[in-house]
Amino acid sequence: MPGRVITITSGKGGVGKTTATANIGVALARRGQRVACVDADIGLRNLDVVLGLENRIVYDLVDVVEGRARLRQALIKDKRLPELVLLPAAQTREKSAVSEKQMIKLCDDLKKEFDFVLVDSPAGIELGFKNSLAPADEVIIVVTPEVSAVRDADRVIGLTEASEKRSPKLIINRLRPAMVRRREMMDTADVLEILAIELIGIVPEDETIITSTNKGQPVALEDRTAAGAAFTRIAQRLLGENVPFQAFDHSEGWLNRLTDLFRKQ
Amino acid sequence: MSIVTFKGTREGVAVTLGGGAWHDVLHELTTQLNRPGAQTFFQGARVFLETGGRALNVTQIEELIALLAQHQMTLSAVSGAARAQEAFDQVRAAMPAPPEALAEEPSAPPAPAPAPSEKFALLIERTVRSGQNINYAGTVVVLGDVNPGAQVIAVGDVIVWGKLRGVVHAGAAGDENAMVGALILAPTQLRIGKQIARAPDASGPRARRFPEIARVRDGHIIVEPWMGT
Repeated sequence: MPGRVITITSGKGGVGKTTATANIGVALARRGQRVACVDADIGLRNLDVVLGLENRIVYDLVDVVEGRARLRQALIKDKRLPELVLLPAAQTREKSAVSEKQMIKLCDDLKKEFDFVLVDSPAGIELGFKNSLAPADEVIIVVTPEVSAVRDADRVIGLTEASEKRSPKLIINRLRPAMVRRREMMDTADVLEILAIELIGIVPEDETIITSTNKGQPVALEDRTAAGAAFTRIAQRLLGENVPFQAFDHSEGWLNRLTDLFRKQ
Repeated sequence: MSIVTFKGTREGVAVTLGGGAWHDVLHELTTQLNRPGAQTFFQGARVFLETGGRALNVTQIEELIALLAQHQMTLSAVSGAARAQEAFDQVRAAMPAPPEALAEEPSAPPAPAPAPSEKFALLIERTVRSGQNINYAGTVVVLGDVNPGAQVIAVGDVIVWGKLRGVVHAGAAGDENAMVGALILAPTQLRIGKQIARAPDASGPRARRFPEIARVRDGHIIVEPWMGT
């Protein structure tokens, strides 16, 4: 059975696409899934840094596409998880170095050998985003509970729907329960009310993400932290397990009703 | 009252000329045709000109035809002052017959006349998301939300069976009898004809949870509970 190509995107930058890609990849690999993480942010690569694999890069995505390296040569095996590999982006090239067709071919090749191909999309809605969207079987939108991030996510959902992909799934990242309780931050229900797509995870704001990202040790390697546990739950939901949503904010009752509603569709 | 008014009809666009100097009329017409959004509505449309009491000469009719042609519009008929109609007939007689007229089978049965109350509407059965624009030369009905950052522009009415939070323009060709109705009416900006209303800057928790309707009354946009008509 071929694997699933899942593109992780957001529109707005800095909401946690790369962190989400790395951690979902780690969480899936920890559950025995064969996972390839593809950094499609050509020219601004950092998935390798977040995964702590930067010093092992020899070949990159553009080398593969242009035939200077075989796909297998460019894949970097994770140092901790044997099931996880990274295909890094080229740092010295631009988005125009690859085409949609080449991305589709690349992901088709990868999904023959992996259960999951996670494509880390660049921010924006231009070429890099289109290249990331083209091969996707599924799309995950990362959003933070801010008006600007929600607006951009809405735009990207519209573009995804227009490209005849299945309705994307949503991760609400960096939720701060205390601020929500004080009604100083949008809560999950507020975000879902506008975006109206299926929720696949809520990740609370967690300072350990910053240190783990700097160290190249994704939090999802362990379930000890709140964010790590949240990414593990997202991986479980991707594998079809029915994991209840955590009560990060006051509106939990209404939230579960809302998510049930979208799941039924 | 504008010196040129547009009204979208089933057959084309009805253009009514008011009083004022001829060059003002032409200028206003050019402005209206070049408004952003207007072009999509008017492109390819047939124009029915109502001159009011204004008598137009052959040169003026030719100027009009040339201006409309720039927007891929054709002047189909002129009503109003007898002298304007005569001028139009003269101009038309001097022109080669338009290809659409030649294509018409003389034996074809006449199209059934539309019932006067019948209107065209565009039905949108999804959420209109940020960055998406809906433009339509009639009434637009959305079964879903219109999100912030989205735009709905209609020559007729706009009805949203959901939350309206984007920018909406009803009566975009100048019809101030057009209305906007929504289950939750909370647009970023609401325009009807030439009137513009925007959301209050202080975004307090005053969102009302019942259907509302916006119309123009005495030159202002007013919003009232939607209790049926």
